[in-house]
Amino acid sequence: MEIANTPVNELSYREAVNELDAILREMQSDNCDIDKLSAMTRRATELIAECRNRLTATDEELRNILASLTPKAN
Amino acid sequence: MSRKLSVEETDGGDSKSMTISQLCTLLQKLVKVPQVTDVWVVGELSDFTLRGGHCYADLVEKDDDGKPVAKIPLRIWNYMFNAINAKFERGTGQPIATGLKVKVCVAPSIHKLYGLSVIANDIDPAYTMGDLLRRRKEIIDRLTREGIIDLNRQLAWPDVPVRLAVISSPFAAGYGDFLNQLYNNEAHIRFTVKLFEAMMQGERACPTIIAALDRIAAEADQWDGVVIIRGGGASLDLQCFENYDLAATVAQFPLPVMIGIGHERDITVLDYVANRRVKTPTAAAEWFIKRGESLLNRLNSIGSALLQRATDMMAAEKEQLSYFEGVISVFPINAVRHADQKLFNSAGLLSNITARRIIPAAEKINSIESQLAVAARGVIMANSDRLTSAERLLNALSPQSVLARGYSVTRAAGRIMTSAADVAPGTEITTQLASGEIVSIVK
Repeated sequence: MEIANTPVNELSYREAVNELDAILREMQSDNCDIDKLSAMTRRATELIAECRNRLTATDEELRNILASLTPKAN
Repeated sequence: MSRKLSVEETDGGDSKSMTISQLCTLLQKLVKVPQVTDVWVVGELSDFTLRGGHCYADLVEKDDDGKPVAKIPLRIWNYMFNAINAKFERGTGQPIATGLKVKVCVAPSIHKLYGLSVIANDIDPAYTMGDLLRRRKEIIDRLTREGIIDLNRQLAWPDVPVRLAVISSPFAAGYGDFLNQLYNNEAHIRFTVKLFEAMMQGERACPTIIAALDRIAAEADQWDGVVIIRGGGASLDLQCFENYDLAATVAQFPLPVMIGIGHERDITVLDYVANRRVKTPTAAAEWFIKRGESLLNRLNSIGSALLQRATDMMAAEKEQLSYFEGVISVFPINAVRHADQKLFNSAGLLSNITARRIIPAAEKINSIESQLAVAARGVIMANSDRLTSAERLLNALSPQSVLARGYSVTRAAGRIMTSAADVAPGTEITTQLASGEIVSIVK
């Protein structure tokens, strides 16, 4: 299996998760290449970080969004 | 005109006329007859209002085209209203409101300022319920006939529904609950919400909600789904949602629509067409948060599976390496020993094979050899006998035997002489006898 080098921020969420699944399957298969282990782990870590980043926001971001959304009853 | 009218008060002199108040009082007594007291009457409520706890409305009879053909004011006094309204709500899931068809037990009343009205003292919620269900069923049947009732319910929410177009009234408590819940989620899931304002009750609800849906449809690619919410404290009047146009718009909407407009028992036709229905705006927010959380959990479990696998693999490789280190010193010796043994085995095997093949061949050769000797001896002996007799015959015929019998052979110059004419006188001739020779000169 070739490790993709598409920048993770150019992937859709689904593509990223599918790639993660594929890496995991490859690593769990019997013929996993130890030479690629660190590259695969690095790529998987990037993908997870990107996905999580898309899902979650920092506290400050949340406060800003909330402030901009809450209707001001005046 | 034999009947004598009884008027309690007259205002002096003129007995030919009476005041309006007197007339009304008289009429009020006249209508208090059993035929029209506590009768059940059906009609549609319009212009329903509450003032000072009293209910004021009109009870309207309409023809098949919906045009009013009869109308009478309806009153429910406050001492009755709470009980009647509670009974109605228990039976229908909603309070008395404009637009509902009702069956009420009434008695007529004539008021000197407000004229004829009927005063209700009981209500039959089953009648209204039946009518509502019939109307809802008509809408559902039509949506089903048109093949659109399931369209929105068949849409799938995107993998990550975090961009939500919300239809609500901006100051509705439900909208605030929804936002609070959504943005205070512990997982810090990042939601993007935009409010598309609409009226959430009354006659304006349907057209403004449809207009809001149209505005969302125009930018549908920016949103993962639609959430229609209201609730908390507001009137529970859900009649405005029982509308074919609204239901058809929701059913055919390109994005999944979630409905959170009532509480558990309030069901409208929208609940049959929307992709999801939740009990409250808070529950709507929770659904999205749960979805986000399950995505995060999935990421976490993939992450830990990766870590575990990488760690396991490294450990296994290290173990293998140390095994190699352990065996590397003895391995060559073992290998040589092993090869040697193999060679030895091969040699043994080879000699076995050879023996098996060669011994029968050698035996065969031996037997051929002995047969050959016997045969050869036979041939030799037979030939030897023949030689002996041939020798004997040969001896009998030899010149020596002839000479022995007294014959002689004369030669001149080595040539055997057979005629006397062949020799001239003086020629030396040699005569061979059986024993010895005589040399003579011819005369």
